[in-house]
Amino acid sequence: MTPSTLSRYPSFPIFSILFSIVYLTCFYMDWAPFRYYPDARTFYLRPNPQAGPAILWYGWLAAAAVVSGAIAFVAPRRLTERLGPGWAWIVPLLTIIGILIYEKRWFV
Amino acid sequence: MIIVLLILHGLLAVTLLGAITHQALSAAPGAATAGPRSFMRRFRSVNPGAYANAVVVLFVVTTIGGGLLYPQYRLDVRTALEDMQMRAANGLFEIKEHFAAVGLGLLPTYWLFWRQPLMPQQATARRALTWLLAFIVWWNFLVGHVLNNIKGLMP
Repeated sequence: MTPSTLSRYPSFPIFSILFSIVYLTCFYMDWAPFRYYPDARTFYLRPNPQAGPAILWYGWLAAAAVVSGAIAFVAPRRLTERLGPGWAWIVPLLTIIGILIYEKRWFV
Repeated sequence: MIIVLLILHGLLAVTLLGAITHQALSAAPGAATAGPRSFMRRFRSVNPGAYANAVVVLFVVTTIGGGLLYPQYRLDVRTALEDMQMRAANGLFEIKEHFAAVGLGLLPTYWLFWRQPLMPQQATARRALTWLLAFIVWWNFLVGHVLNNIKGLMP
């Protein structure tokens, strides 16, 4: 990819590709850097069942943003330039398909 | 306060739905501007690039609104759904939150590929990203409304 807009923001496609992968991994592994407990209105770094039901989504988003942002920031420019534009939508599409397959468990 | 936020979230979602649908249909192949001026032709004959910034801002703001509503949903709605054994409804919401996350991740590249001047070699990726976002927005909109009205919808 060498167009002028892309050369100004070479890390954006890397970010988009990695974001969905990191998010899916965190969600699948049930791992979040922090959890929010709405009953207690408190964030905890570790599971705290006594505080009621937990929300992991904020933690998954934060992990995906930080990890993919950091990697995209340090990724070599030539890697971005060799990456075709198709990967920026194919990987998220596969992530969506993976999510639908995994979440089938709610409908059986 | 939560009702105001819920209504605001819904209104923003309607605006986002309109913008992304206009853009997705106008970016689809065969969106010619010549010929009889039918409703669909007029709907598709917009400048799709003009919607990109609005879609990015609306998607982010609507998702933030959803994130602020989430704690109340987790405590009241999800618990009620579990009590009513409505696993499918909970599953729909799980997918909604994942799709919102994937959509957030797509936004930087979506915005980049819609920046002027539009690059012909990015046309397929630009269209695919727009359709992916449109699918996510439609799914989240419909699921949000079904869940919001589920007590009235179910016998």
